[in-house]
Amino acid sequence: MGEVMRKPDKPLQVNPFRLTQPMGAALAFLGIDRCMPLMHGGMGCTSFTKVFLTRHFCEPIAIQTTAVTDVTAVLDGGDGSIVEAVQNITKKVAPSLIGLHSTGLTETKGDDLGGVATQVDYPLVYVHSTDYEGGLESGWGKTTKALIEQLVASTDATRPDKAVLLPHVSLTPIEVEKLKDFIAQFGFEVHALPDLSTSLDGHLGEKQSALSSGGITVEAVRDLADAGLVLSIGDSMQPSAAALLKKNPAMRHLHLNHVQGLAATDELVAALLEVSGREEPPASIDRWRKRLQDAMLDSHFSLGQTRILLVGEPDFLAGASQLLSEAGGKVTLALATVDSPQLDRIPADKVMVGDLEDAEALQGNYDLIVGNCHTEALAHRFGKGLVLRGYPSWEVVGNQLKDDLLYEGGAYFLCEVANAAEHMRAAEH
Amino acid sequence: MTRKPKIRELLDESACTHSPTKKNACNAPTPGATTGGCAFEGSQISLFPYADAAHLVHGPMTCIGASWETRLTHTSWPNRDLTQMGFTTGITTNDVVFGGEEKLRSAIDFIVERYAPEAVFVYSTCVTAMIGDDIDMVCKQAAEAHGIPMVPVHAPGFVGSKNLGSRLAGEAVLTHLVGTAEPETSTPFDINLIGEYNVTGDMWQYTPLLEELGIRVLSTLSGDGRVANIRTAHRAKLNVIVCAKSLVSLTRKMQDRYGIPFISVSFYGKRDTSASILAIAEALGDAELVARTKKLIAREEARLEEQLAPYKEVFAGKKAVLNTGGNKSWSIASALQDLDIEVVATSVKKATEADKEKAREYLGEAGILMTNPGQEQAKVIDQTGADLLLAGGRSLFTAIKKKIAFADVNQEKKKSYGGYAGLLNLAEDLKNALQNPVFKNVARRAPWEK
Repeated sequence: MGEVMRKPDKPLQVNPFRLTQPMGAALAFLGIDRCMPLMHGGMGCTSFTKVFLTRHFCEPIAIQTTAVTDVTAVLDGGDGSIVEAVQNITKKVAPSLIGLHSTGLTETKGDDLGGVATQVDYPLVYVHSTDYEGGLESGWGKTTKALIEQLVASTDATRPDKAVLLPHVSLTPIEVEKLKDFIAQFGFEVHALPDLSTSLDGHLGEKQSALSSGGITVEAVRDLADAGLVLSIGDSMQPSAAALLKKNPAMRHLHLNHVQGLAATDELVAALLEVSGREEPPASIDRWRKRLQDAMLDSHFSLGQTRILLVGEPDFLAGASQLLSEAGGKVTLALATVDSPQLDRIPADKVMVGDLEDAEALQGNYDLIVGNCHTEALAHRFGKGLVLRGYPSWEVVGNQLKDDLLYEGGAYFLCEVANAAEHMRAAEH
Repeated sequence: MTRKPKIRELLDESACTHSPTKKNACNAPTPGATTGGCAFEGSQISLFPYADAAHLVHGPMTCIGASWETRLTHTSWPNRDLTQMGFTTGITTNDVVFGGEEKLRSAIDFIVERYAPEAVFVYSTCVTAMIGDDIDMVCKQAAEAHGIPMVPVHAPGFVGSKNLGSRLAGEAVLTHLVGTAEPETSTPFDINLIGEYNVTGDMWQYTPLLEELGIRVLSTLSGDGRVANIRTAHRAKLNVIVCAKSLVSLTRKMQDRYGIPFISVSFYGKRDTSASILAIAEALGDAELVARTKKLIAREEARLEEQLAPYKEVFAGKKAVLNTGGNKSWSIASALQDLDIEVVATSVKKATEADKEKAREYLGEAGILMTNPGQEQAKVIDQTGADLLLAGGRSLFTAIKKKIAFADVNQEKKKSYGGYAGLLNLAEDLKNALQNPVFKNVARRAPWEK
């Protein structure tokens, strides 16, 4: 492990890639079936988020705003605009849940969401998600925790064959599905919270609903506490797991910092074998492990000579850096959106919280970038290889179908990065 | 504080055609039933295309974090394109408690030292407006210290819509830039292009024609714009507003203050392009220029028609239903008609009275004006036998169900549809949409569906 720099020493951010808590909160609510995320802030906060996500997923995004104005910012404690917003939403559609989340504007005012929630006669979950603290990961994590605390019914009964998956925000819809299917192969009925795998997976629906078009149902969320096993993936999901365990202390909790690469997937399989009392995994899992081993060997020559910049959320960096370094990829710089305990676990020469100006200043240290579409200009400017990952990715289609997890996705990812590195080297000559 | 624009005044724009009918209440967004961007976004759209200036957003991360590098506003500025960069003070809890002015001052110093911009625009946002940071004072001091213009832009999101934000951006430019420098030379045919942002290079589709006519673009707000030029804008002979009602306040004030007349034009489609170029020439009031312009228009239209001929064969007899908002309800209709596509219906759901009139004018008596397009459009497609639906993404399934071609009018466009040459791009895209079998193919029933 190399040097870790946690605090930026600049008075500003230049070419920022830190995303915000309200956006993470909105995304989490979009993983609840027929939900209407309601952002408590100015209409621009919501509009920017909607456009951002629409372009990333190429899908209509359900979200509404309390449309706080300069006048209501001063005169209204939030009660007025939130209550009115809920009335206006439910006049047109019947969401299963309203996902109320705040912004920097309304946190500066100091609105009491919990107090307002008691005045709303409609299923509603609220979360404080100011945008001048934390980031996408913590917004998603806090919302998951709020969903658990405010919806899940306590119980002391457990069903040993039921599992709850708590995925961090950087897992794509298809990765959540792959992970659910993987766990299900060990005999579990799996519920993910939040579950983007059936809402933002890019499916052609009969009707383009004004609400989220899939995800875990509110009923299923209420009943989560009888699961025998809770699996949290990513450091940002630990508080959610703790909240769920409070609803039923008899649950067994399994935490993984990530599920990328051979070692981490082995760890998951070993735990699932133990919990399920099985001797061996299904044959297809064994087969995919062999394919990953082969992909590691096939890609090692290219990766071994490639210096990589990884850009993204801490939970993403932890997994991707592990996977790449297992095949000899040299992560020379890992650039994180925010601070996290994960930063200490990243196998990289240098780990820092920063912006893309920092990445530009250190451009001599890497040959290839794995990051969001804001890194594309950087890659072009300095002739670096590029593999697009993370939010936002506006210039390509199929972001929701990317799979880098477990044995299978790991094999795809290593091949993709190695090919991009070779492509880059060929272009240099 | 005296330099801050008066919002109430801007909302009551006397030069607006819809001003007499528009209720004041229209400006207040409805909680839970609002779409569209905020004032900050409007100011960003209007000013960010100045690629030689740094655009520093004084606020928390959402404002610019989610929105930098989103608009394809091209520039010929030879140095680093600062439009495509994001600068923000990214304020934290600490700044909210203790104030963000010091941070802002340091941020400006940092930018000037490292990026040497021609100016810095400083945008206030909801949070920094609420905590009361005095960006006017910081800008004034920074301008004195660095010797370049520092423009405070007072358009925090919560004061209103994108439209209001554009107006506030216009105010900032008028207060701090226009009239602060003199042009090196003047010509009798100097114009300003106002509200043309050169998205996907739209402006460059027609500026070579203006140049050929001897019309000089003195400055722009703000497509391919330069700070040095907008400072001389008060010496123009004519302000040309391109598809942007929001900046009419600015041009009206420039008329009052500097005696510069203004006209409103659009470069979408053949007829509108021709009419706009001619309108500019006529407004400049030179008979010879008008004659030259008419010749040029005839030449360009003939050339365009020749290039459009193969497309028109494809489009012959094709009917389109258009479901979009605002002035697009007629401006796209007009362009489609230029391609010989019959527009059988258009949406007037969000259109103003003037837009509705124009839509009726373009579509004729038989045209259907849909007031509730979401519900009507499927039926209208059946009734009219339309071949093409142009709408937002939510309507895609209607087209698939009806097995007709679909084009997303709201999608971020990658190439220009502006001017004469842009119409060819539109024709190519629509031809591809009509000939693409995907809409029929995805409508296939699964073998297990009855």
